[in-house]
Amino acid sequence: MAREVHVIDPKDNTGTVISRTMTAGREVEVEAGGEVKMVKVLKDIPYGHKIAVRSIKKGDTIWKYGLSIGTALEDIEVGDHVHIHNIESNRGRGDLFKEKANAGESV
Amino acid sequence: MGYFNGYVRPNDTVGVRNTLLILSGTVYANSTAERVAATIEGAVAITHPLGRCQVRPDLRNTFNTLVATGKNPNVGAVVVIDHFREEGCTADEIAHEIRKTGKPVEVVNIRKAHGAIEATAEATRKAMLLKRKLSAQVREKVSVSNLLLGLNCGTSDTSSGIGSNMALGFASDKIVNQGGRSILAETMELMGAEGYLRERSVNPGVGDKIVGYIDRIERRALASGEDIRGSQPTGDNIVGGLSTIEEKSLGAYMKSGSAPIIDGLDYAQVCENREPGVYVMDTPGHGSESITGIAAGGAQVLVFSTGGGHTISHPIMPTIKITGNGESFQFMEDTMELDLSGIFEDKLTIEQAGDLVYDEILETCNGKLTKAEILKEQTGFAIHRVGISI
Repeated sequence: MAREVHVIDPKDNTGTVISRTMTAGREVEVEAGGEVKMVKVLKDIPYGHKIAVRSIKKGDTIWKYGLSIGTALEDIEVGDHVHIHNIESNRGRGDLFKEKANAGESV
Repeated sequence: MGYFNGYVRPNDTVGVRNTLLILSGTVYANSTAERVAATIEGAVAITHPLGRCQVRPDLRNTFNTLVATGKNPNVGAVVVIDHFREEGCTADEIAHEIRKTGKPVEVVNIRKAHGAIEATAEATRKAMLLKRKLSAQVREKVSVSNLLLGLNCGTSDTSSGIGSNMALGFASDKIVNQGGRSILAETMELMGAEGYLRERSVNPGVGDKIVGYIDRIERRALASGEDIRGSQPTGDNIVGGLSTIEEKSLGAYMKSGSAPIIDGLDYAQVCENREPGVYVMDTPGHGSESITGIAAGGAQVLVFSTGGGHTISHPIMPTIKITGNGESFQFMEDTMELDLSGIFEDKLTIEQAGDLVYDEILETCNGKLTKAEILKEQTGFAIHRVGISI
């Protein structure tokens, strides 16, 4: 059967969905770092979006390519959709910069 | 060792096209330039809304971009047209700089020619004679080491980073391994890849220079007081599955392969250094502005990796478009060259996909036209602004 989740680096806690039928309740095969496991899909996930392949705690780094792509805003379970609703960037945050500057903090 | 057949220029660069460029020096010469190009077989007009009422650094940037575009080895000859007297950006000044490459350059001033109709006639006659000269030139067999490959991506989705960009990185490495060079650009989309860029830089000074470009644009974003997440990643990136600027950046970074990073280049700076490797140009995320900088840098061919499909094509630098998203290829096939979606169906390895990209690059350099060239799609020229209109 064709691969449905593409995990690039063994360190990654997310994989890219390359299937158009990633629907909630399905069990899909995920290969990460040479290890194959079954993952229960918790939400409908569109093609090209990410699925959590490891359990992620709030504040944890989100890994893809073996590199950080952001931070978890909440606990994310294996099989959940990982996107802008539950992770955030750590870069280019002019909004935070302005808050800090207004509060007189060093930035 | 790979070879291609190109046009060897007097300054020892090699073009993959032999374009007669009708270059507008200012917004008010655009229509005359377009009339001339429409009359002359195979001539290409480059027009833009600038050249007037710009602050100094911005005008200098416009001037440098126009000059360096004329210097690109794909351009065999140039007719520069201006309107009256554009302070700091006259056709005479532009022509003077382009002539340093040894290629023939003619100048027409609309006012001196007594208006748009006479200027059209004068420029058309000059263009005809240049075209006749160009048509007598023949391609010569040269090594791939003469290639300067442009790398860019746009309308990215997650297939870009994990598919087509990795294939493009493989093709870039293959060219560099044979003595060629490539240009990685889009500074904003390197934010988050600084560690990797430093590791690959030939010395710490080069790493500092490139990270300096990224810091500068991040500081500019911070100073705006805005959360750049509203515009980077873009709305179409987010629909495609990209979440943060770091995720977008690391995907974008993949298209530069693993070859050493030799130096940083300012926007539209000609890449004079012939040392094989990757050069990082400070360009904005705006696709047309970015590839305009890369073409000015001297790239003869560019591969544009896209998730959603694209029409972008630079007027004088063949722009090969590839995607890892099969659906996008079907929608946008009219202006796209390669569908690499086989990567996700276990039909193509990254290396096999990279070989397809490499072969397409060489065929294009030998004279095969991109679909966008055939359709005269010239959506890929826009000069980056670094100041306001005054």
